[in-house]
Amino acid sequence: MHWLRALWASTGFRLAAHVALLVSLTILATLAVVYLQTVGVMQQRMARAVALDMQRLTQRFDQGGVTALAAAIESSRARGLAEGDELHLLLDAAGHRLAGNIEPFAAELPRRDATLQRPVLLRGRSVAAYLQLRRLADGSVLVVGRDMRDQQAVESLVMQASLAAMLVSAFLLIGGIFIFRQRLERAVSGIRQTAERIGAGQLQARVAVDDEPDEFALLSQDINRMLDRMQALMDGVRHVSDTIAHNLRTPLTRVLLRLQRHASQPSDDATLRAVLQDSAADLQELAATFEKLLRIAEAEAGTRRMPFETVDMQTIARDVCELYQPLAEDAGQTLVHEDGLPALVQGDASLLASAVANLVDNALKHGGAATRVTLRVRHQGGRLGLIVQDDGPGVPQHELTRLGLRFHRLNAEVPGQGLGLASVRAIAALHGGALRLEDGAPGLRAILELPQPAPA
Amino acid sequence: MWRCLVIEDDQANARFIADGLRELGHIAVVCHDGAQALARASTESWDLIILDRMLPHGVDGLSILATLRGLGKKTPVIVLSALSALDERVRGLKAGGDDYLTKPFAFTELAARAEALVRRARPGPEIRVLEFADLRLDLARRQVQRGARAITLQPREFRLLAFFMLHAQQNLTRAMLLEAVWDYHFDPQTNVIDVQVSRLRAKLSAAGEPPLIQTVRGVGYRLALPDAPDAADAP
Repeated sequence: MHWLRALWASTGFRLAAHVALLVSLTILATLAVVYLQTVGVMQQRMARAVALDMQRLTQRFDQGGVTALAAAIESSRARGLAEGDELHLLLDAAGHRLAGNIEPFAAELPRRDATLQRPVLLRGRSVAAYLQLRRLADGSVLVVGRDMRDQQAVESLVMQASLAAMLVSAFLLIGGIFIFRQRLERAVSGIRQTAERIGAGQLQARVAVDDEPDEFALLSQDINRMLDRMQALMDGVRHVSDTIAHNLRTPLTRVLLRLQRHASQPSDDATLRAVLQDSAADLQELAATFEKLLRIAEAEAGTRRMPFETVDMQTIARDVCELYQPLAEDAGQTLVHEDGLPALVQGDASLLASAVANLVDNALKHGGAATRVTLRVRHQGGRLGLIVQDDGPGVPQHELTRLGLRFHRLNAEVPGQGLGLASVRAIAALHGGALRLEDGAPGLRAILELPQPAPA
Repeated sequence: MWRCLVIEDDQANARFIADGLRELGHIAVVCHDGAQALARASTESWDLIILDRMLPHGVDGLSILATLRGLGKKTPVIVLSALSALDERVRGLKAGGDDYLTKPFAFTELAARAEALVRRARPGPEIRVLEFADLRLDLARRQVQRGARAITLQPREFRLLAFFMLHAQQNLTRAMLLEAVWDYHFDPQTNVIDVQVSRLRAKLSAAGEPPLIQTVRGVGYRLALPDAPDAADAP
């Protein structure tokens, strides 16, 4: 019983069993229709033939009485006109046989005209018969019928064929259930095994995908995509913790050593004040780095509870340009925004502004003296691109892909923490977009690509 | 002088904040747990409440804030939080907070924001013209004068000066200026705000006129006459 319960607990088995039940019912209904149609048609044909025979013989009775009728029955039998399965019986009012080929059954005769199926004696043998009985005007009884042995043989043949078909179907269905269940089991067990391996810490494990693009293959692909995303996040977290360890411990150690050194030796007020100011500045820098790393991690994880609002990237570009213009002018650089039509996206204005500010800041820092930085928005294939382009020295091709990795710095001489582009990438990803860096020939072209909301 | 209720479970942090406020001449009362804080915040009169988001026994500061607002209390509230998730700030402000600071923060930033909030909350007549020393700014006509001299400002410079004049004699941090004038909340990393302020400062001071926007070391800026305390001239 236990194995039966376990079997029934299997979704694959239950699903297959339900399908089998449906198929069985369909086959059963089809066979029933075939049987009823075949047997029904035969019975109708027999009833019609008997009725015609009866009609012909009663006309003979009307024309010449019972004697003529008896003669007609006998002569048709004698001349072999009657078919082999025809049955006749003519009884007089007293119940004696006047003509016919079946034995009388006077005791059981119905009192009125009737149609009946019953065994009769034909040449000493009992046969199943279909009979119509008519009481004639002079009290005699005419029975016309057909021997039903052939029909019963056909019925039994159809029945046997149906049973055989049912039996074969049942075997096929049972086989089908187990094959289906095994197929399902195989598909699901691949997913289960992968889940087990991942649970055991093998995060790189993936579900094997069949070549045939069935539902399981599609499900496996979806699961693999989800696992890829999770692993990317895990790698991100690991990378963040590594970089935090490296980039935060160093300044922390510096602060700690400085404070310990000055705590253990006498110092004048001015020195102490300087130590405190330096430590506060270091800690503030540290907090800013920590905050930035957290923001990047949060943006990459896509953890948001608040809905985005509609913001205009053209306005953001204008504001950022206006914010940085004095800085650029003081450095002898040019910063321009080529204004255009509103460019609406769903997003967080402050985050997007900080991303654009980061790109402008980079262009000004790395573009060199007298560089010209241009901001413009372009629309392309349902996506919007905010382009920040400078005409500075640009970035070598092999470096383009590494730009935007956390703490990766192109030029150590330029102040910064190497988190700017990583944060732009994360903000872009959070908004369903991406950051593309291209050779501007000359200079660097940074494109913040964002999806545009579909027109209402 | 104003009365401030500090709701913070970390005793050292609460003490630093309260001592800092007292040094500035204000009254500061500290509460470490949510229930007591809610009772005092709703039954006494305060000019400002500084509220930590995470309180002991799993109490969320935002629920205290929502209860207070539900009771019709309009006391200005600064929410302090170690949660810096992208939308935490929005949640804090939506719950009824007037400002939001992420830990760790500099006390000067907190003090500057507190000062600005309390001043803004105190009702005054509707202002059309702002005046400070010999500087005059007409909000309706969008005109600026220093003495008899008319000064032409860009729209954003005008907003920047209006913000300085609305908060005359108060310390204003760079983040506060970016939020108030540009309406963005992010750390620009570079000295863009300093360059903007120094341009405005240059436009306001012709030869011989004392500078009116002072640099406050470690804090930001302040609209004040050069000899005012806490101010050091910009280089």
